[in-house]
Amino acid sequence: MAKTGMERLKELEKEIYKCIHCKACRFAYSGEPSRDGIGEFTGKQGTILYEGMIDACPAGIEYGWEAFWNAGKMWIARSILSGDLEFSEEVRDVILPCITCGQCSAQCENKIPTVDIIESLRAALIESGVPMIEKHELVDRLVKELNNPYGGKAEERFKWAKDAGLGKFVNNKDAKVGYYVGCTASYRQIEVAIATAKLFEKLGINFTLIEEEVCCGSPFFRIGAVETAQELMRKNLENFKDLEMVYFSCAGCYRTITIDYPKWMAEGEKLPFKTLHAFELITTLIQKEKIKFKANKELKGKVITYHDPCHTGRHFAVDMEQEMIKKSKNLMFDMRKVNKMIDEWFDKPRVILNKLEEDVGLKFNEMYRIKMNSMCCGAGGGVRAGYPDFSIRTASLRCDEANAVGADFLLTECPFCWRNLDDANNLYNHGMQVKGVLQLIIEYNLLDILEKPTEADVLG
Amino acid sequence: MSYKLPDDKDLDAMIGIVGKEYATNNKAITASYLSKSVMGLESQIPDIVVRPKYVEEIRKILLYCSAEKIGVSPISAGLSGGFACPTIKPAGVMLDLGRMNRIIEVDTENRYVVVEPGVTIGELWAYMHKNYPEWAPPVPDGAPPASTVMGDAIDRGFSLYTSSVGPQGDNFMCGEIVFPNGDIVRTGSWALPFAKPFYKYGLGPDIWSFLMGSQGALGVMTKVAVKIYPHPKFKTVVVWGMSNPQDMQDLTLEIGKQEFGIAHNTVMVQGGNYPLVMTRWPKDKVPHDYEFYEQLGISKWWMNWECWAQTQEELDYVVNRINEMAEDFKKNRAKDPDSIKPQELHPKQIASRLKKPNKIAVPYSFWEAGFLFITFYTPWNECAHFAEMYNAAMEKYGFPPVMWIASIERCRQAICMPIICFDSTKQSDFEKVQELNRETTEYALKQGWLNYRPDPYVHAPLTYSQAGMYWKYLRTLKKIFDPNMIMHPGRLALP
Repeated sequence: MAKTGMERLKELEKEIYKCIHCKACRFAYSGEPSRDGIGEFTGKQGTILYEGMIDACPAGIEYGWEAFWNAGKMWIARSILSGDLEFSEEVRDVILPCITCGQCSAQCENKIPTVDIIESLRAALIESGVPMIEKHELVDRLVKELNNPYGGKAEERFKWAKDAGLGKFVNNKDAKVGYYVGCTASYRQIEVAIATAKLFEKLGINFTLIEEEVCCGSPFFRIGAVETAQELMRKNLENFKDLEMVYFSCAGCYRTITIDYPKWMAEGEKLPFKTLHAFELITTLIQKEKIKFKANKELKGKVITYHDPCHTGRHFAVDMEQEMIKKSKNLMFDMRKVNKMIDEWFDKPRVILNKLEEDVGLKFNEMYRIKMNSMCCGAGGGVRAGYPDFSIRTASLRCDEANAVGADFLLTECPFCWRNLDDANNLYNHGMQVKGVLQLIIEYNLLDILEKPTEADVLG
Repeated sequence: MSYKLPDDKDLDAMIGIVGKEYATNNKAITASYLSKSVMGLESQIPDIVVRPKYVEEIRKILLYCSAEKIGVSPISAGLSGGFACPTIKPAGVMLDLGRMNRIIEVDTENRYVVVEPGVTIGELWAYMHKNYPEWAPPVPDGAPPASTVMGDAIDRGFSLYTSSVGPQGDNFMCGEIVFPNGDIVRTGSWALPFAKPFYKYGLGPDIWSFLMGSQGALGVMTKVAVKIYPHPKFKTVVVWGMSNPQDMQDLTLEIGKQEFGIAHNTVMVQGGNYPLVMTRWPKDKVPHDYEFYEQLGISKWWMNWECWAQTQEELDYVVNRINEMAEDFKKNRAKDPDSIKPQELHPKQIASRLKKPNKIAVPYSFWEAGFLFITFYTPWNECAHFAEMYNAAMEKYGFPPVMWIASIERCRQAICMPIICFDSTKQSDFEKVQELNRETTEYALKQGWLNYRPDPYVHAPLTYSQAGMYWKYLRTLKKIFDPNMIMHPGRLALP
């Protein structure tokens, strides 16, 4: 029997009560006020000093009131549990404009799982009978009707594959490996889907696209519509159950199926397949010296920078930390181990980026806020759908940061980040190209295969 | 005193002053200002929150609320004087001063910086690091970087320099205050229109000192001039361990009493006991027995001397003198000589301890779910007595005996801070904390020990009940500035 949002919120009571309102969570690098950076930069959203600690909670920056920063939300959750506050539209309108990027969780010295708390609070709010905002109601209705929140027809989900000559991979019954494409790459950022599938094809991977694939449920876990999300989860688990490994190109889908599904599945139930993001495979192949990249005259000297998607970056890192907290018998020792794991996790995409610099002649400049302190793109948590103006301003703040390091290409590994960053790039004239890392590799024909990956490489 | 419960008309008045974007009675927003932790458990949801930007707005708000008899509680932006002094009964209007966040002036010749209430210690530290790297402000150690400079000032808190130069209140030169009667007063030399804030005891009797420690109960501070100090490159941390607080107290006093040449260089002298390390982790995820910590090289008690010097030679001299004195103390006067030993720190540990500001004091909620600092000032040579008494009391009530002690002004005073780590989800724990608080406060007052930040329901009434004449004059003076007693009602038993 699945838990309700309120049950989950009550389970998290002790975590909520750990908040002392210290407000470190409003900053990136909250423990490093003397951190050296890249100095002051005036961008499209104003002037920011990229040094020391910087405000980095998008909702707090946008709305200003204490309630919109994370600590305020922790005390709203506490007030709900203690009965000092009841769910209402006022509460809804404060807790929904949060991108659930997890910056707050990364800063918290008391290791409060803030994203879990905010999502549970939203689920409990919806259960209490407070109506969703209109835009969330729309996507909820669309996904119930069409299995995706964009209103795309089911039969057109893999049109991109057929159009790109990749139709043979749709329902490829021989494959043990699946590629879960997700709604954004299927219906909107098809460049990401095409690049990922072509990369697999070039590497000789026998993979399948499952025609019955439905939305992973990510937006619905985020906005509190957990019943909808769980329904989608059940469908996907059924549709993908015969595969050994499922690859992703979307950070949100990857996070949802890898981290959220096990939390919402019945006790004792496990994911029937392993999961990896496609960039992890590329990293492994570089490290095993099975692939490298070709030099490219057009790209030589161009500057790339990398936006860590919250869902593949910080959310995985925080999950590693929380798992360690649960399992550890001596956290004083084990926290060092998990910190090392987190460092290695964030280095994975950077293996590719450094290799691109080395082989292609690109220059890889890091933005100031990266890894655990990365600034969100503004798209997640139901914010792009629900609060588009706020969402796009946040993306523009991130584009400013990329401009500050002279980026020609702002790269990422999530079509949803890609979409929002590219929209901001165009709307505010940031003057860059926004691309997926794998998309860059495919579009510029950079892949140089030295040795085909083995089944063991691919199956993880 | 009776106060008016603010209504929609009052909200409209606030909106008329600051604009509709900066005044609200939205229930979710007002609830978000709660804070029952760290420094007090009394927080109430305010009825209205207002976020002024300008001094004149504050003046108008106070005049209005005074006329309507609506309570007003100001918070800066961080913990001290901020979320640690939230609205208490009867609530009313909360002034969130976070938008007043300008660093107005830095004067390296006269060595001060002028800031508004919302400037956080992290922001000021970063600003100085970037623009004036030779100078540093007196930021509190351990308090999170979101704490404010002004909040720490008005609590006369502990900072990076207080072990060397004296109470944090002494690091503040002049201030600007808005009183509920509508007056804007500048203190110290600032009382003269063209004077720099170079002298805090300006024109005869000093009003600024009267406002220190007020926790927002007398007026709204809108600017302060804070001393800045040289930020030399030569720094280190010396640590000596021991088995008991008496040896910690006595050794530290011997060094502090040297004053010139040694104690002035030990900018921060602070120590405590091993549960300070233990309770930074979840209760069920870390060993409780001392043997584990002993294996890690942690003494039962210890004292850190953070030494700053202009040259390596000067630093070596200070470090060597501390070590020589510790050896001599061990040999000749220690209660438990065998336990006294230097703690060798890894360079990373030294770098970590030298990092300012930091979040060292934050993770005590990790132990269970909530913690409370109950802080007292004692004469330095009574801090061991305080520690033994308080640790026994904490254990009696089922809390781990966590004790942090620091020197103020070269061991003239001790700031003693038991950290009560408890489960704030349990009402029974709340009640135990208050029982412990009452019992220990009664004992402490009999010894002549003072609260650092008196809470409104235990410390302030118990303290003022023994200092009736002082309280009479506090109340009389408050009435001059705040005739309807609207400022932070209840906070200091005033009224």
